[in-house]
Amino acid sequence: MSDENNTCPKPAAEPTAAGGSVPVWIFILTLVLLYFGAVYFDRHSGWFDKQVYTPFQSANELAMYQPKSGAAAMLAHGKAVYESVCGTCHGSDGLGKPDQVPPLAGSEWVAKDIPSLVRVPQVGLNGPIKVAGKDWNLAMAPMGAGLSDDDLASVLTYIRQSWGNRNSSVSADDVKAARTSISGNAPSADDLAKMTPVERGHAVFQKYGCFQCHGQDGKGGVPNFNAKTAEQVPSLIYVADGYTKAELVAFISRGERVIPRMNPNGPEPPHFMPKWGPIISTNELSDIADFLFSLKPKGSDVGF
Amino acid sequence: MIHWNKKILFAGLLALTITVRADDAMDAATKARIDAFEKGPATIDVSKYPQGIQDNYAIFSQKCTQCHKLSRPINSDYALPDEWSRYVKRMMRKPGSGIDSGDGKKIYEFLAYDSSVRKKALLDDKLAKLTPEEKAADEAKIKEVHDKYDGK
Repeated sequence: MSDENNTCPKPAAEPTAAGGSVPVWIFILTLVLLYFGAVYFDRHSGWFDKQVYTPFQSANELAMYQPKSGAAAMLAHGKAVYESVCGTCHGSDGLGKPDQVPPLAGSEWVAKDIPSLVRVPQVGLNGPIKVAGKDWNLAMAPMGAGLSDDDLASVLTYIRQSWGNRNSSVSADDVKAARTSISGNAPSADDLAKMTPVERGHAVFQKYGCFQCHGQDGKGGVPNFNAKTAEQVPSLIYVADGYTKAELVAFISRGERVIPRMNPNGPEPPHFMPKWGPIISTNELSDIADFLFSLKPKGSDVGF
Repeated sequence: MIHWNKKILFAGLLALTITVRADDAMDAATKARIDAFEKGPATIDVSKYPQGIQDNYAIFSQKCTQCHKLSRPINSDYALPDEWSRYVKRMMRKPGSGIDSGDGKKIYEFLAYDSSVRKKALLDDKLAKLTPEEKAADEAKIKEVHDKYDGK
């Protein structure tokens, strides 16, 4: 032991920390991390609200996901229906399209009494009208004829309370009452069950107002200014020649929003084929195809 | 690894695009198909076809270009007589088409004949997928056109 003690060199002085300063970059990095930490906390913590936890980030967001009830739910549903059925033409902003589709924002038609209002989507609207001080001479198909009372009430309420419109809401019962007073001649469910597919298809043709543009029994002749098809909405009596049933059903479902122009520099033709897919039922589509195929005149085969 | 991530990202974006645009997918797909057809050759060398079919080609070139490029039908994926009969009638029946049933028939005959020569592989492929009755009907129509024009 003593030997070892003797051979051990005298220990050096205690080590001391060098007197260098903390590198500046660490300081900046810390501040940056703290900053991001604070921002993250601000965005994700819900500020110690015990009801806010992952995946929700704030009390507002949590409130957004709560089941809506009453008026708010109706408006949200109405907006969804609007975007799929009405928005293509009248626009998400309710402003319509110049010279083609009248606006709904600020339209006196929107503010009308409920039976008159329901009539527009239920049976369509044809001929000259005045909207917000401007003249229009157009044809709207009964785009709402296939909607449930609930859907139609929601979408009408949405239209009456959006884009600056301030009108009362419309209930499903209002729509039901208005519809009953309008559709005196429509076949009942019992009547429909007794009909052949062609007869049912004719009822579908009437229900959705196809005759407004394609003429009575699809005979055509309705003018469509500057449309390449001789400025007319096409007749339908020969569709049996040109389409398989599947092709015809697909065409009716997707419609044709852009109609080729006779004069490329002229205005957009006022009429176009609406997208019926979201509106018409699968059975109705099948029936109307059978009806349209039945329109082909006898002896009109062209030999190829 | 990076490449894989990119692939996954693109696949994800694609899936998202398809989901969001599913509504218009039909239109977009049809439009893309037509655009692809229209980028192809705009004429057919008909010098080896019978004279009658060459005459019908002239009518086809004149009538069909009133509304669309000739490259659309030339490069389209229709080949069966049944398909051509339906599409020619569909176009012919448009108001103001200026195609009467006589011209329509000549256009149809040209297209059926041309498909049986120039699109032989596609035509055989399509025929093989038909039911026996449909196949027999289409083959009879092809034979009819060849009998009418070949060697004349």
